[in-house]
Amino acid sequence: MDCYTANWNPLGDSAFYRKYELYSMDWDLKEELRDCLVAAAPYGGPIALLRNPWRKEKAASVRPVLEIYSASGLPLASLLWKSGPVVSLGWSAEEELLCVQEDGVVLVYGLHGDFRRHFSMGNEVLQNRVLDARIFHTEFGSGVAILTGAHRFTLSANVGDLKLRRMPEVPGLQSAPSCWTALCQDRAAHILLAVGPDLYLLDHAACSAVTPPGLAPGVSSFLQMAVSFTYRHLALFTDTGYIWMGTASLKEKLCEFNCNIRAPPKQMVWCSRPRSKERAVVVAWERRLMVVGDAPESIQFVLDEDSYLVPELDGVRIFSRSTHEFLHEVPVASEEIFKIASMAPGALLLEAQKEYEKESQKADEYLREIQELGQLTQAVQQCIEAAGHEHRPDMQKSLLRAASFGKCFLDRFPPDSFVRMCQDLRVLNAIRDYHIGIPLTYSQYKQLTIQVLLDRLVLRRLYPLAIQICEYLRLPEVQGVSRILAHWACYKVQQKDVSDEDVARAINQKLGDTPGVSYSDIAARAYGCGRTELAIKLLEYEPRSGEQVPLLLKMKRSKLALSKAIESGDTDLVFTVLLHLKNELNRGDFFMTLRNQPMALSLYRQFCKHQELETLKDLYNQDDNHQELGSFHVRASYAAEERIEGRVAALQTAADAFYKAKNEFAAKATEDQMRLLRLQRRLEDELGGRFVDLSLHDTVTTLVLGGHSKRAEQLARDFRIPDKRLWWLKLTALADLEDWEELEKFSKSKKSPIGYLPFVEICMKQHNKYEAKKYASRVGPEQKVKALLLVGDVAQAADVAIEHRNEAELTLVLSHCTGATDAATADKIQRARAQAQKK
Amino acid sequence: MAFPHRPDAPELPDFSMLKRLARDQLIYLLEQQHEVDKLYKVENKPALSSNEQLCFLVRPRIKNMRYVASLVNADKLAGRTRKYKVIFSPQKFHACEMVLEEEGVFGDVSCDEWAFSLLPLDVDLLSMELPEFFRDYFLEGDQRWINTVAQALHLLSTLYGPFPSCYGIGRCSKMSYELWRKMGEEEDGETKGRRPEIGHIFLLDRDVDFVTALCSQVVYEGLVDDTFRIKCGSVDFGPEVTSSDRSLKVLLNAEDKVFNEIRNEHFSNVFGFLSQKARNLQAQYDRRRGMDIKQMKNFVSQELKGLKQEHRLLSVHIGACESIMKKKTKQDFQELIKTEHALLEGFSIRESTSYIEEHIDRQVSPIESLRLMCLLSITENGLIPKEYRSLKTQYLQSYGPEHLLTFSNLRRAGLLTEQAPGDTLTAVESKVSKLVTDKAAGKITDAFSSLAKRSNFRAISKKLNLIPRVDGEYDLKVPRDMAYVFSGAYVPLSCRLIEQVLERRSWQGLDEVVRLLNCGELAFTDMTKEDKASSESLRLILVVFLGGCTFSEISALRFLGREKGYRFIFLTTAVTNSARLMEAMSEVKA
Repeated sequence: MDCYTANWNPLGDSAFYRKYELYSMDWDLKEELRDCLVAAAPYGGPIALLRNPWRKEKAASVRPVLEIYSASGLPLASLLWKSGPVVSLGWSAEEELLCVQEDGVVLVYGLHGDFRRHFSMGNEVLQNRVLDARIFHTEFGSGVAILTGAHRFTLSANVGDLKLRRMPEVPGLQSAPSCWTALCQDRAAHILLAVGPDLYLLDHAACSAVTPPGLAPGVSSFLQMAVSFTYRHLALFTDTGYIWMGTASLKEKLCEFNCNIRAPPKQMVWCSRPRSKERAVVVAWERRLMVVGDAPESIQFVLDEDSYLVPELDGVRIFSRSTHEFLHEVPVASEEIFKIASMAPGALLLEAQKEYEKESQKADEYLREIQELGQLTQAVQQCIEAAGHEHRPDMQKSLLRAASFGKCFLDRFPPDSFVRMCQDLRVLNAIRDYHIGIPLTYSQYKQLTIQVLLDRLVLRRLYPLAIQICEYLRLPEVQGVSRILAHWACYKVQQKDVSDEDVARAINQKLGDTPGVSYSDIAARAYGCGRTELAIKLLEYEPRSGEQVPLLLKMKRSKLALSKAIESGDTDLVFTVLLHLKNELNRGDFFMTLRNQPMALSLYRQFCKHQELETLKDLYNQDDNHQELGSFHVRASYAAEERIEGRVAALQTAADAFYKAKNEFAAKATEDQMRLLRLQRRLEDELGGRFVDLSLHDTVTTLVLGGHSKRAEQLARDFRIPDKRLWWLKLTALADLEDWEELEKFSKSKKSPIGYLPFVEICMKQHNKYEAKKYASRVGPEQKVKALLLVGDVAQAADVAIEHRNEAELTLVLSHCTGATDAATADKIQRARAQAQKK
Repeated sequence: MAFPHRPDAPELPDFSMLKRLARDQLIYLLEQQHEVDKLYKVENKPALSSNEQLCFLVRPRIKNMRYVASLVNADKLAGRTRKYKVIFSPQKFHACEMVLEEEGVFGDVSCDEWAFSLLPLDVDLLSMELPEFFRDYFLEGDQRWINTVAQALHLLSTLYGPFPSCYGIGRCSKMSYELWRKMGEEEDGETKGRRPEIGHIFLLDRDVDFVTALCSQVVYEGLVDDTFRIKCGSVDFGPEVTSSDRSLKVLLNAEDKVFNEIRNEHFSNVFGFLSQKARNLQAQYDRRRGMDIKQMKNFVSQELKGLKQEHRLLSVHIGACESIMKKKTKQDFQELIKTEHALLEGFSIRESTSYIEEHIDRQVSPIESLRLMCLLSITENGLIPKEYRSLKTQYLQSYGPEHLLTFSNLRRAGLLTEQAPGDTLTAVESKVSKLVTDKAAGKITDAFSSLAKRSNFRAISKKLNLIPRVDGEYDLKVPRDMAYVFSGAYVPLSCRLIEQVLERRSWQGLDEVVRLLNCGELAFTDMTKEDKASSESLRLILVVFLGGCTFSEISALRFLGREKGYRFIFLTTAVTNSARLMEAMSEVKA
């Protein structure tokens, strides 16, 4: 194990730093790194290089090339730079490359060199040019900070939601600051800058001078400053070769170090990790790399080549023309296990397992030692954790084997941490592969989450690997496989050299009916690429017709959209399409379309009935629907029109329509109504009172009640009111008037078509027994009993019933026999019954 | 009375969950709207509130939108600025937004949805409270509510597990069912593997059986609905019932112990039951005498309250009965019932027709007259042309010419039609059934062609034996079949269909009936293969009435359930009766 810690370098008493190789780079760099603008994305992201021809005097006669490589040096994209001079490059959190031009325009490129969009940092920046720029990451996204030629700062905290903020002026600033950086504190972005011996902090309200506590005297200028990955710590490098390290709030000093090198360092970055023991800064000069912390001595490395530092969450990546290395503080678990002569439980367990493999009894001794201290659980956990931090698969394996060995001697060790670590390591080893080139550490991976990692794989078009990972980790389809397939399909539709047919078929073959895949989204993408036909083909695969509609509308296939909407059964969707169609087509075509879609038609009719009556009429006209047209006008005659003339005219139109519809009855009825209306109007004029809008029956009744019998009879004749109705009508009206004399006269005018029982009933209703009795005698035999009972003549009713020999009638009379007065009658009935039964 | 259920009858599912869901959602919506201080009814008059924000809870109707728009515009004219929020229940329609936009207030109003579609009116009755469903769908051909129905079914199946077998008849049923199935497929996985609580679901369009809905109801609950109109499970009893000067709002559901015992009874039994009950109550009161102090204390603390409650309910229902009796005898209810029965059985048509004529001539009631005409038309397969004309003429003369439109509506809905002259029955039938199949080929087509659908009631009645042959008196106290809800004269067609299908577990053998119902392609059965439903859940049946159901139908099925050991649950777009159906079809002057 001695050789294992050979690359461990102690810093102070507590911490070790190690540097190991991630990849040997075989990128074919045409330029020296130092001649290029370099940007590398954190979390093992891609590297962008742009040879910087504008720095040299001999201006740009040759166009530079923008190159993008994976972290392992595989070329991802290469394109000729055709835009203006670039000041700075940087990667956003979504792995988009932001290129800040001298004129303040920021061009955004994808991972594969595809141009996405551009935005400007404002007029002020355009006028004064960009002197320097930084891309930084905040919790909202990625920000851009710009130092202009007028020594003013402009920044945007989130390029996704661009809000430019011009920072306040630094009083008396004549020249560019010697160094500056963007700081994120309390959800706001600030600028920290150094001018000579002074430090200034700019927030969006004010500029304030700040002094780091405990700064050594004699500083006349700050050469370099570095903020840690989490914005918590700050390091300052002064012209005296002195490094101050403290919190980013500048309230507290952590430590200081004097390296006695006065040359300005090329780069300075923090090298720490969450919960690290030691806070250290890595400083790079041309050929020297120094790790500095709270210790009198520093760790020094020699750099053979031009190198570039990339700060990470838990360390620093260093790449050069030939290699790509990772420098970090050795994690606790690894240190415990591998430290020379360590007696930590994990170390003993690892040893025990090795002895066990050698079939040596020492294995038992080691194991016993751990068990005696009761530290076996801890030992297993240590081995699992340490495995996560190992880069080499063979080391991972031996540590996991030790953990698994130790687990056998534990009763109840929850298996999931072990299983999860095995899974995570498999994923990590897969993506660290040279061909993939994402050198994530375990901590970075956990911070990034599997979802983001999958997104990044998709972004690199590594669909098969992403799917394999999803399947391996058994992620739910909707989040995993389907999402990736959908992305793949969206990429596929952009391949312009493949025919629509083939693309559609290929996509359908792969995707099939995978749940959670939205064909309409893919089709929308196809349409976005200008492939309308392909979009329509893809929509055919969309099982939910409702989903197809919005896109079809967008593509101006409204009629197809209409039938799809109808198919979906969603009336709202149908209505949306209808309104589209209404604006898109001329009226005639629109109506024709409706005609073929009854469901849409009735929906639209309903709307028109309330909102657009005229349109409704046109609709009926178009269809030659005379019946409905007639009804429409009838409705208008009492809903829309006020004047009698208007109403009659509306009715006339209605009657004509009914004739056309061959509905003679309705036409006649309408004509009668016209006649009645006119007549009612005349009655109002001549007699006063209200007649208009009464029904025929009520009109006649009103006349009778008003004593205009002649008029009433005339009306009845004119409108051919049947006798029965007239009798009922008069009977009711006269009884209401209590004009008994007239009623009697009326009853004798001729034989009643409704019989005389109603006369009896109505008289009794008016409580006039005297009159009722008059009519009771005239009631026909079959209703006589009923009539007699009504007037209360039980005895006579009984006689009639007995005479009729009608059992039902007898029962009815009997049920009316109440009290002592009717006792005799009741007896009579009983006797008659008995007699009847005898016979 | 009130027969107990068979001991093995399944338990009803707990519907209070639906109430809780709806309540929580509404509270959530209103809370976003800080401090709702007072609720007003949406009426066509200016809002008096001085509040800075107005919140409208409305059905998605164009009329309501115009009201909101007019309010907003009035405020604008007066220079007031307020916040407006419209909460649509059960869902928002694009047409509503469109109206807001056209009235120029779309930007001022924010919209929200309250997906409250199922109101549990009783332990076994869910209502969507969409009375407009009937007119919108069966008259105007507007299918907007089908989505709402499908969503309601979807909600039920997510809450109470999948339904192992589904039956249905009617175009609307079929569309709702298909839409619901689609919804289920889209987000499957949720209900899979759940144990079904409800074994069968039966969907039925109202237009499959208009006859039952058109008959006068004689079961107590139906009679109360016909006489006093039950709204949302409660009824307002006027002074004539309460025999005081105030009216009384009474909740009518299974919690009312007295009502629960008489609701499904034929009216002729109710009075006897109530007086028996009153005597029992008196006897219980009388037990007080001869009690010692301790017993008395017990009595007062434990029993008295219940007795008093019962006493109160009893007097309310007795009052209601008296009031019903008074009203019914006045209009010669017996005569009316006799005519209805004659129509159902198909004898003395001439007498019935002249009865109807007299009814119209005497202006008894426009709605009643219309109902009788429809009943005549449906049972007789349309009116003969001469009568069709003369009855309509009489009606217009009595009740006003605007009813010309009513007749046009009724014709369109197939409620009041004319017999096609010359056509032999079979020729028309084959034509109709062919037409139906053609139509079914297209997924959604116009079911509302002006071609009158034949009702074929007489033939169906014979096939399904809807008119029971009884020797002697039908004993209404101990009913033998579902006909008791119509005094033993007629078994409700809708209920008979359900009974038959449940017996066969499919539509098999009912082909002829289905054809006569003009539903050739519109009857469906769908059984899921995995028959893991327990036998208990298989006897729990959800019946869905699209277009409304009557209390008589509910009573009849409750009776069937007790006989066969089923439990029925009812889901209806609204509880309806003959008057509501007729009103929905009527055109009245605005």
